[in-house]
Amino acid sequence: MNMNRRGFLGAVGRVSIGAAASVAGGAGAANAAKADHIPKWGMVVDLRKCIGCQACTVACIMENDVPEDAFRTHVSVYELVKDGQDPAMVMLPRLCNHCENPPCVPVCPVEATFKAESGEVLVDASRCVGCAYCVQACPYDARFINHETQTADKCTFCFHRTQAGLLPACVETCVGGARNFGDLNDPESAVSKLLAENEVSVLRPEMQTNPNVYYIGLEDVLSGRVAGEAAYRPAHTAESVAHAEGV
Amino acid sequence: MEITELVGAVHHAAWLPWAVQYFFLIAISTTALLLALPGFVMGRETALPRARLALMTAVTTGITAPIALLADLHQPGRFWEFFAYTNASSWMAWGAWFVPAYVGLLVAFAWAVHRPAFHAWGNEDWRFAKLFRWLSLGGSANGFARPLGIAATIAAILVLTYTGAEVYVVRSRPLWNTPFLPWQFLATGFVGALGVMLVLERVLTRSAGLEAELNRRLALWLAVVGALGAAWFVVAVSGISPRHSEALASVAGFPVWHTMATWGALTVAVTFLIATLAPARSGWATGLLAIHAAWMFRWTVFMGGQAVPKVGSGLYDAMLPTGIEGLMGVIGTFGLWLFLVIAYTTFIPWLEAGIPAGGKPAAPARPANQH
Repeated sequence: MNMNRRGFLGAVGRVSIGAAASVAGGAGAANAAKADHIPKWGMVVDLRKCIGCQACTVACIMENDVPEDAFRTHVSVYELVKDGQDPAMVMLPRLCNHCENPPCVPVCPVEATFKAESGEVLVDASRCVGCAYCVQACPYDARFINHETQTADKCTFCFHRTQAGLLPACVETCVGGARNFGDLNDPESAVSKLLAENEVSVLRPEMQTNPNVYYIGLEDVLSGRVAGEAAYRPAHTAESVAHAEGV
Repeated sequence: MEITELVGAVHHAAWLPWAVQYFFLIAISTTALLLALPGFVMGRETALPRARLALMTAVTTGITAPIALLADLHQPGRFWEFFAYTNASSWMAWGAWFVPAYVGLLVAFAWAVHRPAFHAWGNEDWRFAKLFRWLSLGGSANGFARPLGIAATIAAILVLTYTGAEVYVVRSRPLWNTPFLPWQFLATGFVGALGVMLVLERVLTRSAGLEAELNRRLALWLAVVGALGAAWFVVAVSGISPRHSEALASVAGFPVWHTMATWGALTVAVTFLIATLAPARSGWATGLLAIHAAWMFRWTVFMGGQAVPKVGSGLYDAMLPTGIEGLMGVIGTFGLWLFLVIAYTTFIPWLEAGIPAGGKPAAPARPANQH
């Protein structure tokens, strides 16, 4: 099943009536045709195309009713100054990596967080006790406690949308086509082709989590904890952020 | 290469000051119980004064700690799910079983130790005699106190194991992911317990001999804390363990961490010196300093640890994440503990607690002056 952004737009162009429902229905029919095929959703972020517009950030907030003080996804923006060169602006979209070996799952004391058959790492909010152990265990700072629901919250790859045959909101809204989403089990999918044709990286490979979010064009210095200065932090640690660790 | 994070998300601390209070109080409780064993389980007569204070410390902090833990849950009404959906791969899930078992056994042990006195008070002609008759359950036998104490000790060791492992296994936080941490929790737990006992001793008994004895034990555990801290630093600086080096690098450049490290080291060193040089005249000072050292260690580990971004740059504002409300939570927890101490000293004949029946050896294991 080809579910990258262009494929989705192409599908939209081919239908004339009841677009969303038709796309959803088409996806369902495709899945039915391959009853034994279980997708494994993944994302390939082409950093060469990301312009840091934060449209994905906003789309995610609107789609998932993310509270004011948190993000399921956002785009970190860095200024890199290499020796003797002009400063370069580098974007890094961040989200849950839907790891193959997610550290958040085994620590959950009540099995509220789990890995779905199609690869998404999800939270059963009706069971979550809000202990925040998973928030601590996530190496990507991708989880948070939603203070409106008082439960752990995170990116779901827009599970409710993919179930309906739609793309995640961040992918659908991505202006530059940097975010590509699809079935990693399908060698013909756009994401599989991107992985085959490009050199890709993952964040924090030393954690051995085997992420399903890949990056094209990721600077090594940004793949782990970014050893730099934060241009802004709340006043309480203003003095601290002016003295960041060495690179 | 110079890097500046122009746009980044700030992540608030997910474990709040109540978590610090829990880890602080439960460590004090479990280690205090261990300090009560020579008197109440091994039957050493000379150890009884220390054991009485230790048991009071263990019970009062042991009851307060789980309340602080519940307060840190964002869905405290769902605590029952810990028992309904236990995930065996989670140390926290195991803790959900260990903590109630420990508190239950601890309270049962304390009740058994005090049962003869409850019974005696219940037979006197006074206003609350009925209450104590009820508390004694109509008898004075307490031969089961020793097995209860042993069971509570096993539960205490399980609690110490899970609290250490629960934090140690978090690989995403290098400051926590060190095998030193469970031992540091244990050693600072003893420091905190002895600190509380010294303060209680000054308030309640004022025995110079006991004060000096507690100070000597405090000095020993402060030395262990210092040695563990020095060993962590040497391992981190030497580069033999990448995760320790990463932990040190993640905080080494920040003045606030320099201040905290210096403050902590000085507190341990000064308390050690006072406890060693003037063990019989310094209970108030060493007690309060020891409590401060044990509490500050946990505050630094939990709040300071959460202030270090996992992927971003700089530090987050996590030192006092919930402002004055969080501080009030800390003060409120101490207030509850104080209330329990007042209730304990008012309604429990703790000074009359003796060696449980069947717990006294036929002959002293060693001369009394060696205790």
